[in-house]
Amino acid sequence: MGIRSRRTFAVLGFLSTHDALDAEETLLDAGLDVVVIPSVKSIESLCGLALRLEPHELEAALLRLAEAGIEVSAKGEIEDV
Amino acid sequence: METPSSDSPQRPIYLDHGATSWPKPPGVVDAVHDALTRYGGNPGRGAYKLALDTSRAIHSARRDIASFLGVRDAHNLLFQPGCTQAMNLVLFGLLAPGDRVVACSMEHNAVARPLNALAARGVEVVVVDADESGVLDADEVESVVAQAPTRAVVCQHAGNLTGAIQPIPDLADLAHAHGALMVVDGAQAGGHIHVDLAALSVDAWACSGHKGLLGPQGVGVLYLAPGCEPAELVAGGTGGGNSEEPLHPVVRPDRYEAGTPNTPGILGLGAAVRFLEHNADSLRERERELTHRLHEGVLELPGFSVLGPPLGEERVPIVSLVHERITSDRLAFVLDRRYQIAARAGLHCAPWAHRTVGTLETGALRFGIGYGNTHHDIEAALDALSRSAQEL
Repeated sequence: MGIRSRRTFAVLGFLSTHDALDAEETLLDAGLDVVVIPSVKSIESLCGLALRLEPHELEAALLRLAEAGIEVSAKGEIEDV
Repeated sequence: METPSSDSPQRPIYLDHGATSWPKPPGVVDAVHDALTRYGGNPGRGAYKLALDTSRAIHSARRDIASFLGVRDAHNLLFQPGCTQAMNLVLFGLLAPGDRVVACSMEHNAVARPLNALAARGVEVVVVDADESGVLDADEVESVVAQAPTRAVVCQHAGNLTGAIQPIPDLADLAHAHGALMVVDGAQAGGHIHVDLAALSVDAWACSGHKGLLGPQGVGVLYLAPGCEPAELVAGGTGGGNSEEPLHPVVRPDRYEAGTPNTPGILGLGAAVRFLEHNADSLRERERELTHRLHEGVLELPGFSVLGPPLGEERVPIVSLVHERITSDRLAFVLDRRYQIAARAGLHCAPWAHRTVGTLETGALRFGIGYGNTHHDIEAALDALSRSAQEL
């Protein structure tokens, strides 16, 4: 397995696991590449689930979630592989 | 070695679906098995695959159950350990000393006992008597509600003794017209009659997962309308959100689901509801037929009478009877011992209901029909009642 390079991802936080999974499904249905990750300090929560996505898809993701009525509680960035 | 409990070779006939449903439909046992073998993670705690798979399975079950019950936003469909716990949450969470609540005289102890406890704490509890069929008159309730500011109207959706279906839409309308909340114990209704909570306009509706919804024991559902905010009874870990927050979160469903959920129960209930989604109409039609036949057949037997609505009037699949001479406990014992027929004698955790219909001193023998019952079961029960009445 090769060594991957760190790069910047956008991160979205949610108030509950239910909201995070609603968001995951909504964004996957929209064709966006999202991954569920443990919540990160950069969005001021070390508990629960967060969604990691490509920075260039953040705007589209936020629009889709707003249309679906899913509340995003926090936005941030992480360096990840 | 299992000790035989009957001298009859026939297969057991289960007719106590009012207590719990058995057997369960296809998929439920497998779902429980999967919960223990495939979905063993703690949902909402951890983002690794096992925990995520479990979280997604519960998420899916919640949405399917919400959809089946007509709940538009699944955030408002809460899992509880059972209907009793759900009703306790609503009653203790909504009512405070000085409040006035109007309740139906047919309520189960899951409602009656909390109300009795709340009355001792200064809540005014006004009980309105149902009629001899066990049905509440909405006009009479309105006249009582109108007498003073009322916090809530509390009524069962259907009776666990009489099978009578209460006029919930009318009660909800009058409650709201007078500024009161409408709180419903739906334990005997869920799965047996069509329930559309969006149309019903109630503020709180609780149901067992293990009766008509055909799921495992240890799980129930609670619908809370937006704006109906009982104080949570349990505060603790919720998985999502921020654990650093000192107080319990107020977002749903987390607010009312502290602690590790009953994953096997919830996934089993999800499987049961998916079965009902495809089979509820045919199942309900058969239950109506069997209930009518049992009711009709009992009335043909000398000495017996049936509690609740008259033959031909709508009821959930419960038929409770009394005999003019033989006590219900004797009948229940003989039915089990000689005929392997399971039916429940006594007060059914509903002394208020028995007091209303006049059977508090004698109790009754209750048959609850449900998934798995056949015409043969009903005819066997009628034959057993007939023979038992001649012998006892």
